This record gives sequence, structure tokens and C-alpha cells, in this order.
Amino acid sequence: MPEHLPVLIIALLLGTSFLLPLLARWGKNYMFPLTAFSMSAALVLSLYLVYHVGQGGAFSYYLGGWPPPWGIELYVDSLGAYMLVVLTSIGLPVIVFASRDIHHDVREEVVGWYYTLYLLLIGSMMGIALTNDLFNLFVFVEISAIAACGIISIKEDRKCIEASFKYLILSALGSGCLLLAIAMIYMITGYLNYDYVAATITGALNLYPYNVLIALSLIIVSFGVKSALFPLHVWLPDAHSSAPSPSSAVLSGLVIKIYAVALVKLLFRVFPLSLYEVIPLLDLVLFLSVLAVLFGSIFAMVQEDIKRMLAYSSIAQIGYVFMGIGLFGERALVGGLLHIFNHAMMKSMLFLAAGMIIYATGIRRISDLKGIGVRMPLTMGAFTIGAFAMVGIPGTSGFISKWFLALGALDLGRPFYVVVILLSSLLNGIYYFPIVVNAFFGIKIEPHSEHKDVPAAMLIPILLLAAGVIFFGFFPGPLLELVERAITL
Amino acid sequence: MEIIERLLANYYYFVAMVLFIIGFHTMLTHSNLIKKVIGLNIMDTSIFLFFVAIGYVYEGRAPIILDQGGEHIYVNPLPSALILTGIVVAVSLTAYALSLIVKLYEHYGTCNADEIALICSQEDS
Repeated sequence: MPEHLPVLIIALLLGTSFLLPLLARWGKNYMFPLTAFSMSAALVLSLYLVYHVGQGGAFSYYLGGWPPPWGIELYVDSLGAYMLVVLTSIGLPVIVFASRDIHHDVREEVVGWYYTLYLLLIGSMMGIALTNDLFNLFVFVEISAIAACGIISIKEDRKCIEASFKYLILSALGSGCLLLAIAMIYMITGYLNYDYVAATITGALNLYPYNVLIALSLIIVSFGVKSALFPLHVWLPDAHSSAPSPSSAVLSGLVIKIYAVALVKLLFRVFPLSLYEVIPLLDLVLFLSVLAVLFGSIFAMVQEDIKRMLAYSSIAQIGYVFMGIGLFGERALVGGLLHIFNHAMMKSMLFLAAGMIIYATGIRRISDLKGIGVRMPLTMGAFTIGAFAMVGIPGTSGFISKWFLALGALDLGRPFYVVVILLSSLLNGIYYFPIVVNAFFGIKIEPHSEHKDVPAAMLIPILLLAAGVIFFGFFPGPLLELVERAITL
Repeated sequence: MEIIERLLANYYYFVAMVLFIIGFHTMLTHSNLIKKVIGLNIMDTSIFLFFVAIGYVYEGRAPIILDQGGEHIYVNPLPSALILTGIVVAVSLTAYALSLIVKLYEHYGTCNADEIALICSQEDS
């Protein structure tokens, strides 16, 4: 049974997503329970996969029974299993939140399609995390690109449509670069399977160095655009701020990270590591990540819209993940990969909290948030926890990943990056703390007495995620163990 | 001279790259949204051309085995099969992008990205 699980999880989500439009016609009330059921089932199965991989080590699944190099191979290692858990454990609370929130953003007729797109997105991201085949990677990347644009443009607001068009064009550009890179690799190795490519690429590198270099740079550009690495981030603020709140949560929390994971897999498993001693690729990634960390925060400071500020903050936070990749030391990489889960948790929680405030009061401007903490204490309390985690206060999960990044930088004898991390934490504080202080202690300018009641289905996911941020701040042990196994690749 | 000889020998790769750059450039620099989509298609097509060209074997024939005996050279069928998937993906991307353009035209009354940005900035201020 466990050997079939990797494909079953993906097939479960994709299958459910195709079933939902049918239900939208005949059984509207069953749409959300079915979605929630398949997400929970995926969560349970992913947790079981983590356990299984921990016990028996990594294993492969051959689609259709065709062994590589002919067939497509799904490869479940600790990194893949870790990403499955990240995707499902964040995806489930977000869709529970969406079940109530989405109705005020989206026309009633298309609510069913929202669930379809959401499951497609999560399923395709799982495929990216597990696949061991270059062309299969491309197909999953394209599915997730279209689904990700879809959950933005489903809110038929003019800003959303414009933002999702911009996102679509840039991510199509990224996919094009990826396909060209795959062509370059296939041209010189004759394989698409990661392991077979890795075995033959060293020989090919001596014969055709330019092909490998072009492929490498195209892959960096492609995943850089898709995961919003600093100078390639232009699409992100519009897309993430105008989308419906649950979409913003999943886009900022999960979608930009999964491409970083795909990049890690390609860089460290497919291309020979000795290559990075010759070409300064990792230094380039490191340089861009430093720019991302600093400029993302600086841009975030001047924003007036709360969701836009959170979107810019995501650009800074994805910088930490890339910093872990660029430093390429053991502990730095642990910090970077750990930050994927930690940031996914806190940023999706912050977006949901912001969405909750917008749902209940309609306030989007940061300066109007004065006194909101008195009226919505639980939501704002969760927001405060998220803000502390973003800054990296000890006792929150954000601290752990920054701590490991800093230790990793010291291991490699590069204390400059510790300074960068400290500086960016200060910058985070500059734009997160005023919101929190104003929300709780600010004087109300005008008493908005009328605001909608907060449904429990929206509050519980936020509180769960907030509890997770605190829990993994105090007990990072099991998570750390998993990530440490993941970086052995 | 050697470079020119190599280019002539592999002119289809060269043409694919030229098309790729044309598409890339059109997609990023044109302000007309329809032209952006056209650029996207040119770029994708150039990659398809490149990919299929990789699989071609000189004087090879379609890889269909008939019981006629005799040794034949066959072209590599894998790139063509992959590109079939690639074409499907490109078509759906194009359809989605065009439908977004229709919506944008309904909302803004223009297909020009600069004008849309102008309208947006006027709204904000």
C-alpha cells in the first residue's frame, strides 16, 4: 500500500477537483465537505509518508509500471515528504477559511470552480515536490501556473484581472525558459529522469559546456520569476494583494516556495556540485537574496494597503529561503528549508487575519486600523503573533529558521550575512510593530460600530495557524529532524 | 569562419533561438496585450521547433516498425511526443490569456497595458 501512496495523493486531489464542477450543478452543499475531506485525507497520507520515509528511507514510484528512463518516476525522499506535509497542513486551514470568506469576493455561480482550482493548485504543487522527471516537472509547473492565476482572476474585479494577466505573462515566460532548459539538457544527455541526467551530465559538461551553462541560467531565471526572487518580483505585489484573501494566503505561503524547492532539487541533485566551484552561481543567488531581504522590507514600509504590505514582506521572506540555498552550508540550508514551513504558516495566517478584518469591517488601509484590536481581539492577537514571528522574536517559529540561517552563515565564516539577517529583522519590526501598537492602543478616530460577526469557520483556521507558530517556536525538534534528513537529498 | 560553418550546419537551432528572442522581446516590451500573447506564442513555438529538431536524425524516417525487414534509421519519437503535450499547454495558456484580455477590455475599454496602468494610477490618486 505505501508504495502507491505518492501517486494516490496527487490523484486524489486532481480527481476530486474534476468531480467538483459536477457537484456544483447538482449538489452545491457537498462541495466544501468533499474538498475538506480530500485535503484532510491528503494531510493524513502525507504524514504517513513522512513516517514511512523516516522508517524505510526514500523510495520511487514508477507511473504505469514503466521503469525509468522510459517511464515517469515519482521519488519520495524526505524533502518531498516534508513539502507534502507543508502543502497539506497549510492548505487545509486556508480552504476552511475560504469556505466562508470566498462568498463575499466571488459570484455564487463560480464558488465551485474556486474549489476546483484550489485542489488543482495543491495537487500540482505536490507533483512538483515529488516528480523525478524533467518534463513531468514542466507539466506540473504549467498546471500550477494556470491554477494560481485562476484563483486570482476568479474575483472578477478589474484590478484582479489586470494583476493575474501580468502574473500569467511572466509565469508563462518562466515556463518557456524552463522548457528551453529541459531541451538543452535532453539534447546533450538524452535523458529526462533526474538520476539519469545527473549520471551523464558530468561527461556532457566536458563536451558541451555551453549547453549546461545556458540550461542552468535559464532554470535560475525561470524559477526566479516564479518564486519572485528580488529583481524578478514585479508581478507579486499586485497579484498577491488584489486576490481574494485565501488565494493570497496560499499564493504567498505555498506557491512561491514550491519553485524554490524545485530549484533546490535541480541544483543539488541534477547538476554536479563541482560546477558551483567554477561558476559563481550560488554567489549570484546569495547576492539577489540579500537585495530581496533588504529591499522587500523597505518597499513594504511605504505601503498603505495592508495586503500590499504583506505581499512585499513575502518578497523579503522568500529572500531568506534563497539565502539558505545560496550559502550552501548544511545549517544554512536547514534554516532556508525550515523557513519554507515557518513562513508558510505565519504569512498565510497574516493574510487570513487581514482577510478577516476586510471581511468584517472592510478596512484595508493600515492607518484606519487604529483600535481594531479592541473590536477583534482574537484576530488581531493572531496577527500580533504573526508579526512577532516575522521579526523573529524568540518563542516564535520565525526565530528558529533565522537562528539556523545565522548559524549557517557563521559556520561558513561569513558574518556579513548575520548582519543582513539582523538588519532585515529590524526593518521587519519597523513596519509590523506600528500596526500592532496602533491596533491595540491607537485612539479610534471614528467609531465604526457596525461590523459583521466573525464566523467560527474563519476564526478557527487563524487560531490554529497562530498556535502552530507558537508551538513550533518552542518545540522545533521533530520539524528540525525532518528537515535535517531532507537536506541529505 | 568556424563559427559560421557551425551555424550553417545547425541553422535550425539558430533560427529557433532567433525566434525565441523575438518572442521574448515582444512579450516583455510591447504594451499591446494581444501582441504580448502573440509574442508568447512565438516564444513557445520556437522552443517546440528547437525540441523537435533535437530528435531529428538525418535521413531518418518515422518510427513505425513494419514487417518488411531491412535496417532503417528512425528519428527519435520522444521529443515529438513531449511537444504534443507542450502544444496543448501553450494552447490553454493562450486561451486563458485571451479570455483575460476580453475581460480587461470590458473593464478598461482598452487593450494597451500603458493606458490601463494610467487609468489605475489615476484611480489611486
